Amino acid sequence: MHEMSIAMSVIDIASREAEAGGAVKIESIQLDVGKLAGVLVDSLQFCFSAASKDTRAEDAELLVNELPGKGECQDCGTAFEVDNFITICPECSGFRVEIVQGRELRVASITVED
Amino acid sequence: MCDTCGCGQPDDAVTIRKPGEHHHDHEYPHDHDHDHDHRHEINVERDVLGKNNLLAERNRGYFEAKNITALNLVSSPGSGKTTLLEKTITAIRDEIDCSVVEGDQQTLRDAERVEATGAPVVQVNTGTGCHLDADMVNRALKVIEPVDNSLLFIENVGNLVCPALFDLGEAMKVVVISVTEGEDKPQKYPTMFDAAGICIINKIDLLPYVEFDLEKCKEYALQVNHHLEFFEVSATTGEGLDTWLDWLKDQVKST
Repeated sequence: MHEMSIAMSVIDIASREAEAGGAVKIESIQLDVGKLAGVLVDSLQFCFSAASKDTRAEDAELLVNELPGKGECQDCGTAFEVDNFITICPECSGFRVEIVQGRELRVASITVED
Repeated sequence: MCDTCGCGQPDDAVTIRKPGEHHHDHEYPHDHDHDHDHRHEINVERDVLGKNNLLAERNRGYFEAKNITALNLVSSPGSGKTTLLEKTITAIRDEIDCSVVEGDQQTLRDAERVEATGAPVVQVNTGTGCHLDADMVNRALKVIEPVDNSLLFIENVGNLVCPALFDLGEAMKVVVISVTEGEDKPQKYPTMFDAAGICIINKIDLLPYVEFDLEKCKEYALQVNHHLEFFEVSATTGEGLDTWLDWLKDQVKST
């Protein structure tokens, strides 16, 4: 349940940005979450609604943009989509696959009332 | 930053103590603002774990300056991390100074066990928190003051999920799995095996008594992370420990 820490970091980042932009209330937070980021989105939503109370993000919508995972085979160079870390190249069946996308966890933007 | 799990506790709930010490409390104030009309979008593009990662890099810089090899030991509860540490430190500390940061939700038990080896140790109690973060380690370092040219073991909270995401500034995560667990653990908890550089398979003295396929376990782990290096040990009997100790000595020499 590290999602509570993540939710609080999201709120902290968004609140600082809102404050810097002179906004008092955050309407929505756009969050990029990679498929392999190790974050459970449902759990994050739950934690977010609990943790945002009495902050600029209270009642804000957390809009999650899930990014697919991508792997690249180091043996044959094939690039392919991956859902998890158990990565076997569909072309050569090799294990030497580097994850090139899917670990993202970032606040992309916030929409504020001003 | 408040690093908690499920209850929204303030970070003062985390205590950092030497064996025998007590802790103290603080207030946790925050602001409240009011509504306006109109709206606009602010581009942010900030890593959610950026604050932790920044602090982790500070820890890393501290380690580099003092030639300290810091290892972050992660596993599920009961894999034998503390026993492995006791045996490792006892075997190596005549040659290399060791210190330990112990992470658990509650109690000083692990710190007391490690203290008996003679190595300096601090216990971080995370309260209800499920992982150590870079700030906790940073605070622990100020208490423990590890010496130059040494090994620092950070024993994370027993949890094969959450600690994977939090960089502490370590040189490497060392994931410990024991043969009394399932050999498919690397596939069930891939995020951790992906984050680790070393995999220690512990309790190999019990192999004759359990249905644990060692080769299959390694194959599963390599499917997740083909960079993993393995050590097969029994912390209890000492089997396989020499290779692990040699590797540790090399780390301190080469840094």
